[in-house]
Amino acid sequence: MQFKNKDFSNAREVLNVRNLRIGLTGRPQAQPVIDGIDLTIRAGETHCLVGESGSGKSVTSLAAMGLLPKSALEVQSGSIMLDDFEITSASHSQMRQLRARRIAMIFQEPMTALNPVLRVGEQIMEVLNMHSDLSQSEAKKRTLDMMDQVHLPDVNRIFSAFPHQLSGGQRQRIMIAMALILDPDLLIADEPTTALDVTTQLQILKLIAEMQERHGTAVLFITHDMGVVAEIADTVTVMQQGQIVERAPIAELLTNPQKEYTRTLLTAVPNLTPRPARPAAAQSEVVRVAGLDMTYGGGGFLRRSEGVKAAQDVSFTIKPGRTLGIVGESGSGKSTVARAIMRLIDPTAGSVNVAGTEIAQLSRRQLRDHRKHLQIVFQDPYRSLNPRWTVARSLCEGPINFGVPRAEAMRHAAELMELVDLPRDALDRYPHQFSGGQRQRIAIARAVAMKPDLLVADEAVSALDVSVQAQVLDLLDDIQERFGVAMLFITHDLRVAAQICDEVLVMQRGVVVEYGPAGEVLANPRHDYTRNLIEAAPGRHWDFANYRALDSAAMTTGATA
Amino acid sequence: MLVYILKRVLATIPVMLIVAVFVFLLLRLTPGDPAAILAGDAATPAQLERIRDRLGLNDPLLTQFFTWMGQLLRGDLGVSLLSNTSVAGMLGDRLGPTLNIALMTITISVLLAVPMGVIAAWRHRTWVDFLVMSFSVLGFSVPVFVIGYILIQIFAIELRWVPVQGYKAPSEGFGAFFSRAILPSLTLATIYVALIARMTRASMLEVLGEDYIRTARAKGVRENVVLFRHALRNAAVPILTIIGTGFALLISGVVVTESVFNIPGIGRLTVDAILARDYPVIQAMILLTAGIYVFVNLLVDVSYSFFDPRIRY
Repeated sequence: MQFKNKDFSNAREVLNVRNLRIGLTGRPQAQPVIDGIDLTIRAGETHCLVGESGSGKSVTSLAAMGLLPKSALEVQSGSIMLDDFEITSASHSQMRQLRARRIAMIFQEPMTALNPVLRVGEQIMEVLNMHSDLSQSEAKKRTLDMMDQVHLPDVNRIFSAFPHQLSGGQRQRIMIAMALILDPDLLIADEPTTALDVTTQLQILKLIAEMQERHGTAVLFITHDMGVVAEIADTVTVMQQGQIVERAPIAELLTNPQKEYTRTLLTAVPNLTPRPARPAAAQSEVVRVAGLDMTYGGGGFLRRSEGVKAAQDVSFTIKPGRTLGIVGESGSGKSTVARAIMRLIDPTAGSVNVAGTEIAQLSRRQLRDHRKHLQIVFQDPYRSLNPRWTVARSLCEGPINFGVPRAEAMRHAAELMELVDLPRDALDRYPHQFSGGQRQRIAIARAVAMKPDLLVADEAVSALDVSVQAQVLDLLDDIQERFGVAMLFITHDLRVAAQICDEVLVMQRGVVVEYGPAGEVLANPRHDYTRNLIEAAPGRHWDFANYRALDSAAMTTGATA
Repeated sequence: MLVYILKRVLATIPVMLIVAVFVFLLLRLTPGDPAAILAGDAATPAQLERIRDRLGLNDPLLTQFFTWMGQLLRGDLGVSLLSNTSVAGMLGDRLGPTLNIALMTITISVLLAVPMGVIAAWRHRTWVDFLVMSFSVLGFSVPVFVIGYILIQIFAIELRWVPVQGYKAPSEGFGAFFSRAILPSLTLATIYVALIARMTRASMLEVLGEDYIRTARAKGVRENVVLFRHALRNAAVPILTIIGTGFALLISGVVVTESVFNIPGIGRLTVDAILARDYPVIQAMILLTAGIYVFVNLLVDVSYSFFDPRIRY
């Protein structure tokens, strides 16, 4: 794998952070959030700031923008110099003058980062109106030119579109156009591709690199994704709990990490090489799905409308103790399939057979008895647990509904806590008292409490940090081994799919394009779409856990099992 | 968009029909003989029979209903039992003052309350926020007539800036109208200022925490532009709802203020009609109030899509 290796030691220092301390507002004695960090970013350099959630990387970037939420956080000491201008002591209006002109920022969620009620063209043009004396027609011309530079199609139409009418990738291009239109010295990108599909991510990363090349911008790139880091970084700074752990040029950091924490981070990056498939717990299939169709809308009152075909003719089977992964990008229909099988939505056609019962056409009432065979774990553990219920109540609700005596349900709940590696006394606490990873463990325990035949995991590890992700994947593995449960794992992340799936089904726009053993599909993809997905995965030629390149021979040997 | 508005207008027809049926039944199904109620205690049997005949009470219920609906659709609301003049004409005379006062009240309320709410949200948990919220509690809790009398005492009696009572139509000169309408409008506005300011603050607080506000600040947008261009439009839907409901409530709820300031509006007409059991007038008032509610709601619903492009029908 080719890393960037340009030497920046003679380039101009654009941002210079010295001994920065940021703490809770009005509480100088409390543990600081940022504890004395130094950071130097030079012109033309891409500096990646990596770390897990809570490491302080986003706080650092907001401080550089002068955008810290004043009621919560304040700079306690140290300095942030943008060229020769001190940001920590700048006034409101000085800071405002600086933003967009000298220092600009793009954010993670292109959906929520754009104002939903203003046309995207106007939102870009607003930057010019605020910071320049251009006439309206000149400003519009410049805006259209910039939209062209970020490769938006049909710029005149998109200029007057609202954010919700654009795709995620297009919205992020709008954000980039907005950030770079005044040619700032420093661009801060806070997880700008995390919410995007892999293929879109690749395009956006290329675009940022292209714009950087053209304008000589320094980029501070915040991410948790080591794959992205491997692709774009010149220099990497690793942060943990408000402190800097290690800083090195990219090649050095990936081949020869000095600190234990860096090694932990790298080891946790899941490998793209599929693991060997495991034996099934039984030979007969526990889940059989055939010809599943799901069409949204349609019908219509006077005129019959077409509807959106979210899933067409999806068929697969899962044996007990095995995991089927459905992979695909947003809009591929993977979540639709999961919901149709859970009967959270009613499939338009096809059959779903779980544990010997055909459930696709059962009425809501008939379905109730079969619900315990199917359980689901959702993506966002912050929202899938009732915040006003204790963990015990969440764990016991299902079994009690199915006639288990309360005392027995409580006893079982306590056992489950042990199973998912949480203390028993946590049963009396509420979800907000746990971290994201712990909450996902609780959500898994809740699903397992029903002793299901099929466990559906809908992007269940996507919101977690890599190290936590690895632990949760281990837990799922462990549970599967112990109970022989069949698992349907919905994910957009091929690395995760490679780690946990025995079989993989690839979906594109509602249609299954490839289905087979994980080793086959991921190592020797037959369909172009699968190949594109794999090629778009950042850092796919690097074996992070072993600090070395991944040669293609290793890819295929891993796949033969 | 036009199709949507048309659909919404059509959807108001069943609502109004239900109200009409209710109003019709109100008189026919109340216990006792409507004619006896209408005629009063001292009526002779001959008088009663005459009233029954005039109201068509001897016909079957369904016939009565269709006759009544027919009259309604032609704009004939019947004749007042008290003054023996056409109810439609009476309403026409009285609606002007009420509408003008209501419009002025809602304008004052919006002009005061929206900036108050925006600033309170912007300066969340500071003395400014505290001041606005205290005023809001006060506006809710002090009765309308108390505020009315205090305002009269200060501005009409002590300072002699404006007349104590009375009403002049805007057609008789804006100054004359304004000097008489300002105190009742201010009186009525207190509660709506409180209500709208509260709603604006709550809605703005939510919007100010959104990512796109951070984006706006990150591109160096001035704070007033952040507040009024980026945030307020996104916060508009709940504020519009409360303004719409407020306006409809105003028209039906001006009874006390019109009494205090001696304004010949529909509020006083209603009071007089109820005291005199003038059923045709009461019926007409219910119809009118319901109609205003339905119309204002329609207006508010349609305006949502103007403020938020994501709302499409």
